[in-house]
Amino acid sequence: MASKVTTAQTMELAKARQNTRRERWHSFRSVMTQNKAAMAGAIIIGIYLLMMLVAPIVAPYDPYDISLEDKLTPPSMEHWMGTDDKGRDILSRILYGSRLSIGVGFASVLFGAFFGITLGLVAGYYGKWIDTIISRLLDVMLAFPGILLALAIISALGPGLINVTIAVGVFSIPLFARIVRGSTMEVKKLEYIDAIRTLGANDFTIIFKHIFPNVLSPIIVQGSMRLATAILSAAGLSFLGLGAQPPSPEWGAMLSSGRDFLFSAPYMALFPGLMISILVLGFNLFGDGLRDALDPKLKK
Amino acid sequence: MNKEVVLQVKNLKTHFTTSKGTAKAVDGVDFTLHKGETLGIVGESGCGKSITSLSLLRLIPTPPGKIVEGEILLNNKDIVKMKEEELRKVRGNQISMIFQEPMTSLNPIIPVGEQIAETIRLHQRLPRKPAWQKAVDLLEMVGLPSPEKRAKQEPFQLSGGMRQRVMIAMALACTPEVLIADEPTTALDVTIQAQILELMKDLQKQIGMSIIFITHDLGVVSEVCDQVAVMYAGQIVEHRNAKDLFKTPLHPYTQGLLSSLPNIHENQQELQTIEGSVPSPYDYPVGCRFADRCPHAREICRAEAPDLLETNNAETKVRCFMHTEKWEVIEEKEELVCP
Amino acid sequence: MLLFIAKRLVQIIPVIFGVTLVVFLIMQMVPGDPAAILAGEGASQETIEQYREDLGLNRPVAEQYMSYVSNVFQGDLGNSLKNKQPVLDEILLRLPITMELAFYSILITIVLGLAAGIISAVKPYSIRDVSVMVVALLGISLPSFWLGLLLMYLFSVKLQWLPVAGWDGPLNIILPALTLGVGGAAIVARMTRSSMLDVIGQDYIRTARAKGLKEHFVIYKHALRNALIPVITVVGLQFGSLLGGTVLVESVFAINGLGRMIVDAIRTRDLPMVQGGVLVASLVFVFVNLLVDVLYRAVNKRIDLN
Ligand SMILES: Nc1ncnc2c1ncn2[C@@H]1O[C@H](COP(=O)(O)OP(=O)(O)O)[C@@H](O)[C@H]1O
Ligand code: SF4
Ligand SMILES: [Mg+2]
Repeated sequence: MASKVTTAQTMELAKARQNTRRERWHSFRSVMTQNKAAMAGAIIIGIYLLMMLVAPIVAPYDPYDISLEDKLTPPSMEHWMGTDDKGRDILSRILYGSRLSIGVGFASVLFGAFFGITLGLVAGYYGKWIDTIISRLLDVMLAFPGILLALAIISALGPGLINVTIAVGVFSIPLFARIVRGSTMEVKKLEYIDAIRTLGANDFTIIFKHIFPNVLSPIIVQGSMRLATAILSAAGLSFLGLGAQPPSPEWGAMLSSGRDFLFSAPYMALFPGLMISILVLGFNLFGDGLRDALDPKLKK
Repeated sequence: MNKEVVLQVKNLKTHFTTSKGTAKAVDGVDFTLHKGETLGIVGESGCGKSITSLSLLRLIPTPPGKIVEGEILLNNKDIVKMKEEELRKVRGNQISMIFQEPMTSLNPIIPVGEQIAETIRLHQRLPRKPAWQKAVDLLEMVGLPSPEKRAKQEPFQLSGGMRQRVMIAMALACTPEVLIADEPTTALDVTIQAQILELMKDLQKQIGMSIIFITHDLGVVSEVCDQVAVMYAGQIVEHRNAKDLFKTPLHPYTQGLLSSLPNIHENQQELQTIEGSVPSPYDYPVGCRFADRCPHAREICRAEAPDLLETNNAETKVRCFMHTEKWEVIEEKEELVCP
Repeated sequence: MLLFIAKRLVQIIPVIFGVTLVVFLIMQMVPGDPAAILAGEGASQETIEQYREDLGLNRPVAEQYMSYVSNVFQGDLGNSLKNKQPVLDEILLRLPITMELAFYSILITIVLGLAAGIISAVKPYSIRDVSVMVVALLGISLPSFWLGLLLMYLFSVKLQWLPVAGWDGPLNIILPALTLGVGGAAIVARMTRSSMLDVIGQDYIRTARAKGLKEHFVIYKHALRNALIPVITVVGLQFGSLLGGTVLVESVFAINGLGRMIVDAIRTRDLPMVQGGVLVASLVFVFVNLLVDVLYRAVNKRIDLN
């Protein structure tokens, strides 16, 4: 039946899909801007990204500058968030640390998304035994509870921020792969994909030009939600001393050193944790809004 | 005409307040239901039939819906003003309902017998055992084969027709005075439809209840109803004896509906349909709500809203200027104006 | 039902093999000579060679994996590099503590989550609903290790109601279980709410009301039981995150459970210990998932049809 479809018809079909994509984008934008929670999330994320950019300009002190006579001073006009056990300005450290904590989150999600999407597209598109193998692999990855797979990977690669990025990234592969696999299988069934194939498009073109754009919206929703979890996991691993190492102003690591001064200087643990929480809250708000905007089934 | 009145609805208005504005889904409905009578409510989809029937038991989802005006008198007691407690004693007991979707109207994880028995326990204060036995008897009465076994099953184990029988058994469990059936056969196969209709007629004879039968299918109405109320855009536009209505429809909308009825004898290929669509309940026209689709519309139809009036025969009510004295006057005037 | 359980058991066999394979490969991924690592720092060349011979590290990888799996199934998870004691002994000492913590945490997750979700769903968009959902959103956003420290600061340092750390009495359980449980509770609450709202909008709830049932009958007998079906799956998944989370929470509260054992083992590069710990935790999770599947199946007989 596909062979009867003419080129013109195919182009029309493809175009029609593109048009609906554009319409969808417009309705998506209007839903997002109307959703107050999503807007709040976007603003929070925006502020943090800005913080990453301007950290060196606005930071009042050098984040690594040790001055033992100033150690453990509570928040004051001079040090808004106080100083740590080495007399370093906590605010400056937090500003610089944003680059590490947020950067690790983004990098690991990109890592996980890249491999996850590829696996999902391949499994969903080719099906059969390829799908079986990939699906089993994903099952195995999901059989590790929570961050234990990441821990296992770090145990092999050794501690460090880069290894944490990889470990947390691997941990998001199955989630992306599952979603993409399912959507790919749905899109693949659409008639115009068949038509394009009969016109001689190769698998690569079909997968990346025609299927990938159609599975983008669940990826984006998942990406936003994953960023929240990735930032939490990476900070958690640094908190355990497996990621960023001591002088580093990574928030999880700061929290970890703050723990030893919980009695005498609770603000040392308070501020890094607060920064993580607000950022994760931002991603969760934004992700919730995205999901409502992109998933018409959930709309009231 | 001397028959006992069971239910009287006066100027019922049920509106929905949403972000798009106010939807006047039911906008001034009046009717009277007598004992033992079957009243059909017909009209295209979206005319407010379901909302009318849900309003009778105050089952409108609030918010966004609300009964904003009117009275629903059951044996002269106003349901609209009842307290929750009192209302619950009416629901499933004096008035019960059957819904369109037998697939989704039964709780998927509770055995059907229990779904019937709980109503009996509630309203008739029977203990578990006898209530269950009565549920089984009811299932037998509605013609469910091996009712003992079926009663213990969950809805997914029954076919659509069987589920609708369960719904009927449930509705009749407490021998209600009024049974409201909202498109009870629409979701079923034609043969099953006929069986269910037959069953309802039989049971009505046995129990003597009144039925409000809602449907968009005039063919079904002609089979089961004594009286017919035709609804359009939240209002009743014609209310008459079923025989007369089918013989000489008065309202142009009823005429349109009848001419779109498939004729069983001639194998008609194309049905005539009324052109255009039901106006949005958010924004009704000022004048007659049917004017945009009416072949007889005149100037006055767009300027003024017609009332539901009795014609020469007191049992016939129509909402159309054509059947008022005004119409003649206007026609003459227009003839004067037009060369 | 028995057939179903048998089927699921067969299905998890490849998963279990997969898990052992991944854990085994971790060893292979370690940069450097595994024999040297296993022999410990500063071991002589001879000792290293001895290890290589004893552990069969000079054999092909596939063969090594086979012997690893067969050891694992015989309960031999290798010996700790530090104290040379069997890994399994240490795990059997630690696992009960972690399971106890996990049990109370999942209890908090379920009870708190369901209660909050129902409270929200019964009056959607009310002030009560909105505040519960805001708290739930905070619950999924707070890092457990930070929440643990906050609770510790508040209840142990400031108010001095509860012990700071350790695992000696029932009072010790409260803060860690709460820390570990609230994140899941927030997720369960959100899921319960949306599931309840979905169910309350269903036709059969209207039917229940049309029968004249009291509202709490409608909610608890007709709505809740249906709404719980998808929540079961979420609770099962939540148990996984929770098990992973013990790593952090046990570290915060200095509890000598499996999680802390794994972290300590990573710090000291005691690889057999890490492998054993991760493997056992994963197996626990796999079996909990099986249990959840069976439960799901038991309450939702409709899957029989497919
Ligand atoms: N929950 C709701 N919110 C807003 N409008 C509604 C709602 N339910 C029904 N309506 C409006 O009421 C009108 C009548 O609906 P209904 O009574 O179901 O029609 P029908 O005659 O097909 O049974 C619909 O056109 C719709 O606009
Ligand atoms: S009032 Fe006028 S427009 Fe309305 S139905 Fe009668 S003739 Fe038609
Ligand atoms: Mg309807």
